[in-house]
Amino acid sequence: MSRIFNSMRDGKGFDLILVGAAMVFLLALAGLPLVYNVVMSFQQVDMFTLGSLVRPFAGFANYVAVVQQPEFWLVTKNTLIFVFASMAGQFIIGFALALFFAQNFPGASTIRGLFLVSWVMPGLVVGGIWSFILAGDYGVLNAILKGLGLTQATIFWKSDPNFSLWAVVIANIWLGLAFNMLLLSVGLAAIPRDLYEAAELDGANAFQRFWTITLPMMRSTIGAVLSLGLIGTLQQFDLFPALTEGGPANTSNVAGYWAWQMSFQLYDFAKGATISVMMFVLVLFASVVYVRSTRHEVRG
Amino acid sequence: MTRSYVPWLLLLLALVLAAIYLFPLYWMYVTSLKTGSEIFANPPSFWPAEPNLEIYPSTWARRTMGTFLWNSVVIASGVTAFTVILGTGCAYVLARYRSVWIDIGLFAILMLQVLPASVMITPLFVGFNQVGLLNSPRFAVVLAAAAKSMPFFVVLVRATFMSVPRELEEAALVDGNSRVGAFFSIVLPLARNGILVCAILTFMSSFGEYIYSKSIIQDTALQPASVGLSGFLGPNSTDWNSIMAYSAIYVTPILAVFVLLQRRIVSGLTSRALK
Repeated sequence: MSRIFNSMRDGKGFDLILVGAAMVFLLALAGLPLVYNVVMSFQQVDMFTLGSLVRPFAGFANYVAVVQQPEFWLVTKNTLIFVFASMAGQFIIGFALALFFAQNFPGASTIRGLFLVSWVMPGLVVGGIWSFILAGDYGVLNAILKGLGLTQATIFWKSDPNFSLWAVVIANIWLGLAFNMLLLSVGLAAIPRDLYEAAELDGANAFQRFWTITLPMMRSTIGAVLSLGLIGTLQQFDLFPALTEGGPANTSNVAGYWAWQMSFQLYDFAKGATISVMMFVLVLFASVVYVRSTRHEVRG
Repeated sequence: MTRSYVPWLLLLLALVLAAIYLFPLYWMYVTSLKTGSEIFANPPSFWPAEPNLEIYPSTWARRTMGTFLWNSVVIASGVTAFTVILGTGCAYVLARYRSVWIDIGLFAILMLQVLPASVMITPLFVGFNQVGLLNSPRFAVVLAAAAKSMPFFVVLVRATFMSVPRELEEAALVDGNSRVGAFFSIVLPLARNGILVCAILTFMSSFGEYIYSKSIIQDTALQPASVGLSGFLGPNSTDWNSIMAYSAIYVTPILAVFVLLQRRIVSGLTSRALK
């Protein structure tokens, strides 16, 4: 008995308690629900069986039903467009800004810090602000675009089926830009200066230096940023209720929001769970890439 | 000599870029001060004709923001407490050893970090319903959101612990401290700053938490500010004046904290964890 107590104060027992408490908590509130989610996707869940654990087995009926939903392929397409467009926008603009702020000029790091404010703002508030900026008749973006002569027509960003998804993408790029820029700046700062000096002496121009030094040296950072971007974009939820609610006619709906609608607006928890499982497979793929690209850093 | 003006041109360009980037924030504050008819003016005015500060107290009262914000504070504090208390110890152990088991534990935590809330909410809701946690909905949200924010916290704080020299802890052990004593009197104080920054980040992100609260908390008196905002915000909303005033009241404290602590937060984030 006293040996157990001593080990708790002085040995491995202490470590086990510390790590065990967190692990049990995470397993109970993240691991278990994940398993439960898969179980539910094979069950028949309705209002009567919601409270019980043992429900009629449904086989793949839920999966078949989800795929047969008329909006399934539209949502799949939207999810892919949303993810890739957001990632591309966040990454390219974020990289450009990171390169720009890596230049040596007064106030560079202070002004760069300002670019991080979107990162700490609640997603719903960001959605609300963009919802007003993107409004059709009185939105300021339309006014600016017209003022610059880029368009004559009034674009109804949120209610035009051709633009509704892009309205969310624009807001999401603004939201995720900061994080991309921050991580890429860190990667840039880690490249030894003398490499550039040596290349300059050898007569390499700016583009060659970028192509042969910056990009190769940043490979693992870029891998981590891209996979974190993929994960973050798949997690994006708050912008949808604020901007379009997936509409009009699901033209801006993506898997995450669709799953939530199934569960909490249509109370079809089995379908919600099924969509979640499908989405989880996608996230799993992203996280394997992420873990592979960060393993060296994390083990430090 | 000819290039001495280049840094100032870059500074000018940086200011222009920052202005474009921060425009949505500016627009939020400006719109909240405009009168009803000015909001719908086309083309829009970029400065309110007659700024109306009255909107802030009236929105505060009409939308019962006091209750909503208090609930946000309660939920964010709960999440931060759970995350810090459980996550710090876990991060410490994961930083202290190097073995296959540690790698497996880290991998598991990284995997949990990537689960979207929209995937987790369905099983969490049904599970909470079965164990009766829906009767104390704010606590249920705290549990769910803490599990969501903990992995990120652990990864960042682990990096902080790794920068604490191992020798200091060993010296304390040689001097007769127990492991518990060495942890609380040597290691924890040295890692305090990093833990504090991560705790603030956790607080800020759970202050804006939406999806769990929206799905789990049905009682208006217990809902946080994000759900309160969603009550009158949607694709067809028109009450922009109070939406923007509400948003301004909601985010100004977060922005103030962020601007004050920006240097620390950025350096905490950019330490070794996310290289």
